[in-house]
Amino acid sequence: MPITTIETIEVKSVRIIDERGEADESLMPPFKEDDFRRFFEAIILSRTFNQRALSLQREGRIGTYASIWGQEASQIGSALAFNNDDWLFPTFRESGVFVAKGYPMWMLYRYWAGDERGMQIPPEFNLFPMSVPVGTQIPHATGAAWAMKLKGHKKVAAVYFGDGGSSKGDFYEGLNFAGVNKVPAIFICQNNQWAISMPRSRQTAAKTIAQKAAAFGFEGVQVDGNDIAAVYKVTKDAVDKARGGGGPTLIECFTYRLDDHTTADDASRYRTDEEVEAWKAKEPLVRLRLYMEKRGWWTKEYEEAYAKKAQELVDSEIKKAEGYTPPDPADIIKYTYAELTPRQMRELKEFGWQS
Amino acid sequence: MEFDFRLPDLGEGITEGEVVKWRVKEGDHVEEHQVVVEVETDKAIVEVPSPRGGKIIRINKREGGSVSVGEALMTIETAEEAEAAAPEKKAEEEKRTRPPSVSVVGALPEKEEVTAAPKARALAKKLGVDLAKVAGTGPGGMVTEADVKAASEGKAVPAPPRPAEAPRPVEKAAEARPAGQDKYGEIERIPIRGVRKAIAKNLIASQKTAAFVTGMDDADVTDLWALRKREAKVAKEKGAHLTFLPFFMKAAQHALAAYPNVNASVDEKAEEIIVKKYYNIGVAVDTPDGLMVSVVKNVERKTILDLAMELQELSVKARDRKITLEELKGSTFTISNYGTFGGTYATPIINYPNIAILGTGKISERPWVVDGSIAVRKILPISFTFDHRVIDGADASRFVSRVISYLEDPGRIFIESA
Amino acid sequence: MAKLNLVQAINQALAQEMEADADVIIIGEDVAKDGGVFRVTQGLLEKFGPERVIDTPLAELGIIGTAVGLAAYGMKPVAEIQFMGFIYAGIEQLFSHASRIRTRSRGRFSCPMVVRTPYGIGIKPPELHSESSEALFCQMPGIKVVIPSNPYSAKGLLISAIRDPDPVIFLEASRLYRSIKSDVPDEAYSIPLGKAAIYQEGGEITVVSWGTMLHRAAEASEDFDCEIIDLQTLRPFDEEAVINSVKKTGRLVIVHEAPRMLGFGAEVAALIAEEAFEYLKAPVVRVTAPDAVVPMARLEDHYMPSQERIKKAFEKVMQY
Repeated sequence: MPITTIETIEVKSVRIIDERGEADESLMPPFKEDDFRRFFEAIILSRTFNQRALSLQREGRIGTYASIWGQEASQIGSALAFNNDDWLFPTFRESGVFVAKGYPMWMLYRYWAGDERGMQIPPEFNLFPMSVPVGTQIPHATGAAWAMKLKGHKKVAAVYFGDGGSSKGDFYEGLNFAGVNKVPAIFICQNNQWAISMPRSRQTAAKTIAQKAAAFGFEGVQVDGNDIAAVYKVTKDAVDKARGGGGPTLIECFTYRLDDHTTADDASRYRTDEEVEAWKAKEPLVRLRLYMEKRGWWTKEYEEAYAKKAQELVDSEIKKAEGYTPPDPADIIKYTYAELTPRQMRELKEFGWQS
Repeated sequence: MEFDFRLPDLGEGITEGEVVKWRVKEGDHVEEHQVVVEVETDKAIVEVPSPRGGKIIRINKREGGSVSVGEALMTIETAEEAEAAAPEKKAEEEKRTRPPSVSVVGALPEKEEVTAAPKARALAKKLGVDLAKVAGTGPGGMVTEADVKAASEGKAVPAPPRPAEAPRPVEKAAEARPAGQDKYGEIERIPIRGVRKAIAKNLIASQKTAAFVTGMDDADVTDLWALRKREAKVAKEKGAHLTFLPFFMKAAQHALAAYPNVNASVDEKAEEIIVKKYYNIGVAVDTPDGLMVSVVKNVERKTILDLAMELQELSVKARDRKITLEELKGSTFTISNYGTFGGTYATPIINYPNIAILGTGKISERPWVVDGSIAVRKILPISFTFDHRVIDGADASRFVSRVISYLEDPGRIFIESA
Repeated sequence: MAKLNLVQAINQALAQEMEADADVIIIGEDVAKDGGVFRVTQGLLEKFGPERVIDTPLAELGIIGTAVGLAAYGMKPVAEIQFMGFIYAGIEQLFSHASRIRTRSRGRFSCPMVVRTPYGIGIKPPELHSESSEALFCQMPGIKVVIPSNPYSAKGLLISAIRDPDPVIFLEASRLYRSIKSDVPDEAYSIPLGKAAIYQEGGEITVVSWGTMLHRAAEASEDFDCEIIDLQTLRPFDEEAVINSVKKTGRLVIVHEAPRMLGFGAEVAALIAEEAFEYLKAPVVRVTAPDAVVPMARLEDHYMPSQERIKKAFEKVMQY
């Protein structure tokens, strides 16, 4: 009997706007000028937030911070494809998602300064608190999506993780569950090429991360993570599919981490300046600016005016974040359970934290 | 508003650096986040941005000077209205040379310190030993108590305890005391430290363990008074000031010889009384740091004159804070001659681990019955506290009577002495 | 002899054991090229090559699970888990396999591996980087748990751990990494596991502690007559040393940074209550964090046992 091939894997790679700002308009979603401005300004705003955070850390005003520089298109392009009642599960490197969704920046600064009140997510945001242990948030999104399906809600749940996260057991178990139960989950891998000092090539021998979806019986697609239009399109397609009962999708945003892993890391220990410079030339803002300029939608004055506005906005958020009363030590104990146990009531007294 | 810009915790364990170059000068206007100074740490140079905008009114650290985390680098007069937008920090264009990255999160503390056991530290403080110069023989080079002792014995005269340790009388240490208020009015808080703390601890230890009883009595020391006056000249020729205390000590020592159980201490764990065959009598000496019990050793071998001279030396040492640890230890019995300050009867607290203490009050003239008539006599009030676990009331009375017999008839000391 | 900090002492122990035994390998995230996120394995890749110092994908379960396999086959893996907060992913491998393989196979197989991880509070890091859940591991028979308090003992204990035929969790206090230096002998030496060190002799209070809190307890003991015991190994711990000390002093204070309930102090207290009851003069007091999750940086200092709280405990037991 001839040996037959019973399954092949096909992985698509999507790009709409290339590195020179040329676009394939046949793939472009029906955006208007305002939509592009919205993208452009969101990138600038989140980047301003990010750069201020780096300064604040150097000034001793916040603790260790994880920069998003270079990944704005992956984060904002995807975030804007969801409805506000869809649930998002971010990691610690998703400032762009938070800012794009309108999460109060002063609360973000508070969190990075080491204050849990920053992640006391206000009810109008369907965002889970940032997850620090890598990949662990993946099964959470699967669970939420599963609940949405069981309850018949027309919502989707999306989770962000990195190339490092895709090596974790949580990735396999979370995606497998999602696949076999056909839940409305979107798995967004921000492949920024580095997991601290581990290059993507050492993380897995697979050619792409997107193809791993095949192991779970659903589609994985790779997208140019620095092309905000493509990221939006691919995400929107996945969202529509999930919402329509078509099950999960794995999206691999192929992008780059331009900064160090965190403010305490020093990436020059393990990667070259040439590599970083090469990626800077293709980064999201450069790309979008080139495209908008070609369409006549960008001027230097426009950018400078908005940049100034963004600075003012961010700086007022910093003032707000810092002009607060210090956290109450009683909070260490108070939020452990719904109600205080007798032991905890004793401890509040013993530690002198009775408020 | 004036704002002191202090060198922030740059993270990665940096505690200080050297100011390499100021990028601004006094009078300049700076923006928030503008890099103002280059600080060198560990052979790398960090650019430090200002956390506030405003006009620089003072540069506090000169180029080439060292600055610690928390020290003020410069003072800025901040503007009241919202700052103009700071220039966008072009992270991608600035080539920052960084201090070596030593972690990927957090700020690691880094400090050079001598590892020493707490008792070793306390002893070093007391003896005035510089820990950094002591060779540590504990594990990993840790400095132990024995190391500190060895280091201190290398000195000719043990250094006095550092003044910072001693609690000071009211007028002297005003700078250390926080002025305060409680709900009734003004108060002053004086920390209990050092010697006073040790004394307090000792007294409590004594009170806790002994079953103490105090008995009081009087001694007619008229003859002793005359004796002392008469012999004071002789003592003076020898350079000593003759007080009553040497007589009290001799009297006590002779009485202790007759009632050895009073010259003892208790080993609680072994449940044994340790009777000492030597007579080391502790006497309270007034020092600037408080009353200290200084021990005169082997009273049985010393003459009254010897004792007078030793007591004189001790009071000089105490005043100059040169009393050594040795001189404070090893007593078998204690005399509290509080009479020099006034007072008649008292309930002295036993000097742990002794089991008895003899308190002598102020000698005063009183109407007394002598051979059936009233006479004016010199009376010494005596208060004797003893540990009832070891001595019972009868023995205690007998002991005190014996002491009194020597005091009332000093000749007895003379004829009994070898 | 050289004055080394904790990072350097551990680095030296690793290098010397790897030289002495070709089966000793290091695996973990960012341990090779980057030298470890705290630089503990710095220089080892250059010295021993990429087949002995190996960067792994980001997968704690995978790291510990493969270590079980490597060890079963005769290697001596020293696996680094980047922070104790991430070890939880590997607990199944530790508890269901590493700890049990010897007894399940009645000695045919064993698991001579070491899991090293930074632990504990005090460097104001992001969440999950301040865990002190050592008691969890002490509950599992078949595992050993070691926590050095200084560079000198760290080197000797790690060498013992690597040579130990059973799985050892070796916890390194991140707060101590660079803040303490000791004289460390140049040659390899081992300090036996299961033996405590007497940090200071004393007569009135026995103080039992380990890691960062040992130093804090020592500072707080300045005005007291304390016998300070550095447990060094928690499982199995030096029961004799603690009992003998309590026989002498009659008072016991345990200081640890983990939350109180079922923290390791509970085990020590229970042991003393059983074995040294008649020697006790005062209740056994534990000075610990409250029963709550480790907070973020802003509230960190409130959470750890402070000098005040430790001193209060000393004063309390001295009242008896």
